[in-house]
Amino acid sequence: MKATLFAAIVTTATAVVAASAPAPAPPSSDDLARLAFKNDLLQKRFDLASSKEFYLVLDPAQKSMSLMYKAALLQSYAVEGLEVGVPQVLYKSRSDASGWESKVWHKGALDPVRELDRVEVVAPPPTAEGTEIEVQVPQTPEEKYPVPPRYHIRFEGGLSIEVRPPGSDAEGGFWARLGQRWNAWWADAKAASSGDNADTVRLHVVMSKKDADSLYRALPPNTALLVVPPSP
Amino acid sequence: MMEGYPLTEENESTPRRGRGVAIIFPSPKRRWGLVVIAVLLAAVAIAMVAGHGTGYAYGDASARTALPAVDVPQNAAAAKKLQAKLVAQNKQLTGALQKLAPSGTYIVVDQTQNRLYIMNDDKIVKTSVCSAGSGMILKDAGSKRKWVFDTPRGVFKVHNRISNPIWKKPDWAFAEEGKTIPKNPEDRFESGTLGKYALYLEDGYMIHGTLYTRLLGRSVTHGCIRLGPDDLQAVWDAAPIGTPVYIF
Repeated sequence: MKATLFAAIVTTATAVVAASAPAPAPPSSDDLARLAFKNDLLQKRFDLASSKEFYLVLDPAQKSMSLMYKAALLQSYAVEGLEVGVPQVLYKSRSDASGWESKVWHKGALDPVRELDRVEVVAPPPTAEGTEIEVQVPQTPEEKYPVPPRYHIRFEGGLSIEVRPPGSDAEGGFWARLGQRWNAWWADAKAASSGDNADTVRLHVVMSKKDADSLYRALPPNTALLVVPPSP
Repeated sequence: MMEGYPLTEENESTPRRGRGVAIIFPSPKRRWGLVVIAVLLAAVAIAMVAGHGTGYAYGDASARTALPAVDVPQNAAAAKKLQAKLVAQNKQLTGALQKLAPSGTYIVVDQTQNRLYIMNDDKIVKTSVCSAGSGMILKDAGSKRKWVFDTPRGVFKVHNRISNPIWKKPDWAFAEEGKTIPKNPEDRFESGTLGKYALYLEDGYMIHGTLYTRLLGRSVTHGCIRLGPDDLQAVWDAAPIGTPVYIF
């Protein structure tokens, strides 16, 4: 009897407290927008993970760029610096750099391309048992895929990632450095002035030489890119 | 006139003396030369100034992203309903993404750099030097057959695991060595070539050992992934049947 009475009191008290507590405030437009923003990013990650594309996820906040496939992390590269560039001619910008973070870029390809050295061999005619066939020792990846000091990953739609390890133009003597800088400037000036062929947005990603070399040698063809925008 | 001394004939390049200041008047030829040099210097200066503003202008990439526009209902109840819908969508997407990602151990093969990684929840547990496909094309002039020795890219699963595997040599193995392709299937079996273990992926591709450990780190295989004995043991221990293998 006492127990029943006690339970009734507790239930009543709880109901009174609950009734007197202020109702939770309705969500603000910023809260809803933040949720929508997170969902949009998740949807893009899900779409990429469901596709048959390899993809890069560049996360400036985490200072990392990851090579992914089907939501699995394959390689991670430390990003030491990130700048965004737009083409300009005589100080006048030729494109609008906004919106590069909030979309998925497809069909990323290396420039200069990494050549696949396909050797064709014609099978030797049947020989006597025990005859040794001469086998050549192939090159190591370092010998087979020389990495340029500056390279791009160009995506369909006009975004490109320019990878330049820190101090990469400091190699060689004075004239070599001058030549490299001149070539880089000339290529940029030509690209920016050429109109349609110019990269609309260029991301200059600085990473260690080891990571830059690794990315160049390993990047699969037609890789997509998602840049994770900072949470607003 | 003394011999050996030039005539003191005045010309335009001879300094004229006037009130203690020597004024040099260049010859017309030199004057044109100076004009050309000045024009060139001006052109270089203009090119440098203009050139500095032509190309790609870089700036800070950490600009904040603007919040997406959301139609917020005026009614508090409707706003809460929208919030609940977005939260549910968030949960559903997070769950779906987690389902796609491998959980626990998985293998990653970087075929261009000939590296194999044993991963566990996005962390590298072990890195090994391996050998992947050579990318060579072997043609048999007699039969007109052609084989491409590529390692395929994508995700595979360990379908089967065999210790002390026996290799059933395919046709290309005989063609490559200049041997007649045997008619008797028993003549195709060879033991020891694949090392101590073989982990079968798909379409005859395997992760296995090798007799040619000196070639590890180079692209030499016919599509399979070769490992040294210690690294093969580590993969054998870590990768049961069903383990995902990502090759890129």
